[in-house]
Amino acid sequence: MPMLLRLRGIDRNGQRFTLWLPLFLVYLILFPLLLVLLPFVLLAALILWPFRMACLVIQAYVTIFRLLGCLSGLQIDIESENGGFFIKLK
Amino acid sequence: MSEERKKILEMVSEGKISAEEAERLLSAISKDGEPDSGTAKREPKYLRVMVEPRPGSSNPDKVNIRVPLKLIRAGLKLAALIPKSAQSQVNEALHEKGIELDFSQIKPEDLDNIVRQLDDLTVDVEGKESVRIFCE
Repeated sequence: MPMLLRLRGIDRNGQRFTLWLPLFLVYLILFPLLLVLLPFVLLAALILWPFRMACLVIQAYVTIFRLLGCLSGLQIDIESENGGFFIKLK
Repeated sequence: MSEERKKILEMVSEGKISAEEAERLLSAISKDGEPDSGTAKREPKYLRVMVEPRPGSSNPDKVNIRVPLKLIRAGLKLAALIPKSAQSQVNEALHEKGIELDFSQIKPEDLDNIVRQLDDLTVDVEGKESVRIFCE
């Protein structure tokens, strides 16, 4: 799971900003939010049970965690004459 | 090919270093933990997409994207969650683009196979820009 987000931007005048964001601070907000969401997900799964879509709802919820866990190492670096953008998760 | 190896070869092609110096640098990289060509193949972790302007090109746009293969696997699994009703719409959209692919026929094990085959993928396109897609 990525713990640090590095963001860098450069505008066309060459002015740049760099942001280091410790993601565990984001997780401190995100995980309680996902926990609060859990009863609603289970409720939605119960409602959708007759339509055979309960499994989909639960799998989608689990996939959020899976995707978060797989983001580590993602790097996007784009440069153009109008500026640039760099994002790295580690 | 690793970034270091690529840089060394670029320096040779630009005449910045001699072939002997390049050989020494390459062997130093190998000693630093890079597997030799004779050893077992290292499992790639990332899909890399690089778009660079050709030398002398007026377009300075550059793109360098590194996507973890784990993320691609997870994303494909997410795609498998698309309901059947929506899958037919996806199939129609693909058909309109000339891609004859039945989305509903793709199973999770097929997705794993697709990602595994990506390991050997290398695409080099030389046009106005140089586009490279590979796994590392």
